[in-house]
Amino acid sequence: MAVIAGTATAGERQGLLGRLAESPLARLVLRRVLVAIPLLLAVSILTFVLLELIPGDPAQVAAGLDATPEEVENVRRSLGLDRPAPERYLGWLGGFVTGDLGVSNVSRRGVVTMLGERLPVTLELVVLAFVVSLLIAIPAALLAARKPGGIADRAIMVVSMTLLAVPNYVMALLLVLVFAVALRSLPAIGFVPIGEDPVGNLRSVTLPVLALAVPLACFYARFLRGDLVEQMNSADYVETARAKGVGPWRVLWQHAFRNSSFGLLTLVGLNVGGLIGGTVIIEQIFAMPGLGLMMLNGVGSLDVAVVQACVFIFAATAVLANLVVDMMYAVLDPRIRYGHR
Amino acid sequence: MAIVDPSVTGAALTPDVAARGARWARIRRRLVVGVPAAVVGLLLLVCYLGPLVLPLPAPVGGSVLETRLPPGTPGHLLGTDVNGNDVLSRLVYGGRSSLTVAIAVNVIGVVLGGLVGALSGYLGGRADTIIMRALDVLIAFPSLVLTIAIAQILGPSLPNTVLALSAFAVPAIARIARSATLRVTTMPFVQAARLAGSPWWRVLLRHIAPNIVPQMLNFALLGMGIVIVTEGALSFLGLGIPAPAPSWGNMIFEGQQSLSAVPLLVLWPSLALLVTVLAFNMLGENLRDEMSGR
Amino acid sequence: MTATASTGTGPGVRRAARDDVVLSVRDLRVLFSRGGSTVHAVTGLSYELRAGRMLAIIGESGSGKSVGVRALMGLLPPSARVTGSATLAGTELVGLDETTMRGLRGRDIAMVFQDPTRSLNPTMSVGAQITEAIRTQRRTTRHEAEERAVELLKLVRLPAAERRVHEYPHQLSGGMRQRVMIAIALASNPKVLIADEATTALDVTTQAQIMELLVDLQDRLGTAVVLISHDLGLAASYADDVLVMYAGRAVEKAGTSTLFRHVRMPYTKALLGAIPQLGTPAHSMLTVIGGHPPDLAAIPRGCPFRPRCPRATDACVETPPLVEHEPAHAYACWHPVGDGEALAPRSEEER
Repeated sequence: MAVIAGTATAGERQGLLGRLAESPLARLVLRRVLVAIPLLLAVSILTFVLLELIPGDPAQVAAGLDATPEEVENVRRSLGLDRPAPERYLGWLGGFVTGDLGVSNVSRRGVVTMLGERLPVTLELVVLAFVVSLLIAIPAALLAARKPGGIADRAIMVVSMTLLAVPNYVMALLLVLVFAVALRSLPAIGFVPIGEDPVGNLRSVTLPVLALAVPLACFYARFLRGDLVEQMNSADYVETARAKGVGPWRVLWQHAFRNSSFGLLTLVGLNVGGLIGGTVIIEQIFAMPGLGLMMLNGVGSLDVAVVQACVFIFAATAVLANLVVDMMYAVLDPRIRYGHR
Repeated sequence: MAIVDPSVTGAALTPDVAARGARWARIRRRLVVGVPAAVVGLLLLVCYLGPLVLPLPAPVGGSVLETRLPPGTPGHLLGTDVNGNDVLSRLVYGGRSSLTVAIAVNVIGVVLGGLVGALSGYLGGRADTIIMRALDVLIAFPSLVLTIAIAQILGPSLPNTVLALSAFAVPAIARIARSATLRVTTMPFVQAARLAGSPWWRVLLRHIAPNIVPQMLNFALLGMGIVIVTEGALSFLGLGIPAPAPSWGNMIFEGQQSLSAVPLLVLWPSLALLVTVLAFNMLGENLRDEMSGR
Repeated sequence: MTATASTGTGPGVRRAARDDVVLSVRDLRVLFSRGGSTVHAVTGLSYELRAGRMLAIIGESGSGKSVGVRALMGLLPPSARVTGSATLAGTELVGLDETTMRGLRGRDIAMVFQDPTRSLNPTMSVGAQITEAIRTQRRTTRHEAEERAVELLKLVRLPAAERRVHEYPHQLSGGMRQRVMIAIALASNPKVLIADEATTALDVTTQAQIMELLVDLQDRLGTAVVLISHDLGLAASYADDVLVMYAGRAVEKAGTSTLFRHVRMPYTKALLGAIPQLGTPAHSMLTVIGGHPPDLAAIPRGCPFRPRCPRATDACVETPPLVEHEPAHAYACWHPVGDGEALAPRSEEER
């Protein structure tokens, strides 16, 4: 028996890889990438145009408020800001394609370097928020769905509904009020790099991560709970499981949740954009040196290269997230993975 | 349990208990839509009619001598802020601004977005693809950045805030309108109308619109909350309603500076935001449940 | 028989001797509270089920046949109120607490559902769903459970069982899926197997195959089977006993040959008459039973079939009880149909 089982799984694995290579999956990825390229191109053009339209003189900003007109002109020339717009854009694009993301008007530092410093911060915030939101949402939804209409369910629904109505910046301020001001247990602002002090790092990101994660968790929990309850009430395989004598928690997890996970996955994927957008304001409130703040400052100081780089990363991530969701569908759903008879 | 006398148990379940259950269900249904609707109504009333009816001091131009007065001070029910302005008055006027923005954005969104989306879905083909691609670009663009950029280009003011927020509401609603239209277009009665030779605008108006409007309205109701919050975010960042005119967002921003000293200055507008968004969300969700028969 | 030995029932399980009564239902009633009204889904249902025999419960939709058996397994929604008695090998099922009931499900009483496509979890392999049943019902190692799963698939005559065990429901045909459902139901060799419209979703050929399988398994394992269906023909071909339900009540009950040869209930007679015959000339009107089944929330007094019955008289305002008027043949009617008698013809609905 074991031999047969072993052969089956190995064969299965091999089959999977083989199928992936020339599979609909690979074609899906390719197709999406091809569509994404013009999309991101359009996004970069839009960014450029918008920045051009914002009133203000980037050379002035770069040179400083108390610079003399000659200094401003010098700066303008050195930054290439005196060239016509299309030329500037194409110059940037050319550099972008070859990996040269340009230089910040304000700090004169390479954008790539800046990204290197600031991307990990935002990444840490986003990843942690993502994980925490699911860690809160899934058990909450399971608990609520276990006895629909019961105390746990109603409490969780009321709390999640209320918290959902709290904007993330208000949530952030409230968290600061409670934990930083009143309890003085967590820092209100500032980021401690993980290399320096792991514990300090975690402490410094706790409040921003919570501010990001809690509204998302509420959203996921509500959706998941609804889906689970619907399945527990009407899905035929749930009835079969019960008829087998399977206990209610296992029915909820093994049968209902496994089928709900697809919907949840889609929702999560669609929300990646929102999660990233949230970092902009959260980083501002908590003074986190991440991409969001970099972009915000860049817009404020008309720092084209900086803004382009940040916008690109944000947009590309949203597109990538959608792609990953579709891919995960293909991997997780046996109906897609093994095809139909 | 041995055999139970059926006449006893039968009676125990009939009319009485069952009817009570039904009555309670009806009451709950009414409450669950009625309460948030009432709250929303009250909010609108207070914010729009309040300044005309209630004896509120001016929301701006407060005296430096009256800063940070606590709630309950005579003449200032909720106290004053760091600039000496009456908090309650700022809340009411701020609510007026925030609500106006939200309503305007949603109206524009539903009308414009609905039109674009419905047309796109109905026409299909090349037009549809082009419009969808354009919308995709707008949607892929980080929304807050788009709004911020537009707000900066146009300059902070109430109408400009409306425009900036519409830039991200219209594509979102257009998408919903399009998918709803696609679903409706395949239905037999629309095919019948087309075959009968009805011009495209009539089909849109008489057949498609009535069928997608409920969904869009529902989205708009839920979107009220989102728009109010985003307007708050804009004002918080200094880009929305320009100071010194109040909006809940910039009140929160100002309050942030004295968070540890006078937390109430942040809490009042936050509470206002919370209640408003909650009421709209509940109204939207429960109306939808009611209409879809749950 | 080797088959019995290899299906390996657990140690210490006593297989009922043939013809022992394994399930005894007496005056089972199920009420639902819905909105403001009470729905009488099942009223006064009584029957006995013996080991190794198949009882067919026949009725239209809404006759209460599915609700009745779900009440036995405790699978009804919380809005249901069940009264009466149902004893499974000595254990009273009505009013049993959920934990004990769960222990019985699958082990002593199991159910096969109508639509195997929707009744199997699409995200779990077929083998996993069988082993889940096995391991829920008794303590075994994963290895043992997997072996037993393959055994069961062979028992239900699923070809290439070792390979199929790892496959997913969507990779199997409808008939194969139903075999898997049967395998799941038989995982612990229950005393009673309920087949709720188990072949309705299958084509005629597959239907016959599955029924043959059920009968064969019944012979080998001694399982008592309750066959729920609307198909009288199915009952005629495979069942030992038939119980006809209408509007939540049992209206006729007899051994299969007795019932079909000596139909008494006008309703049953009408059902038989409504079956299209091969010999009828083309384009003739299908015989239907005029009217429609009563609203279970507002059942009129008296015989529930009265509004549609061509033989109804004023006497029928009084509900006829289900009585064994003839040996081993019970029916609930004041004006039963005699042998060879036709149902009174009628040109329009009688009140």
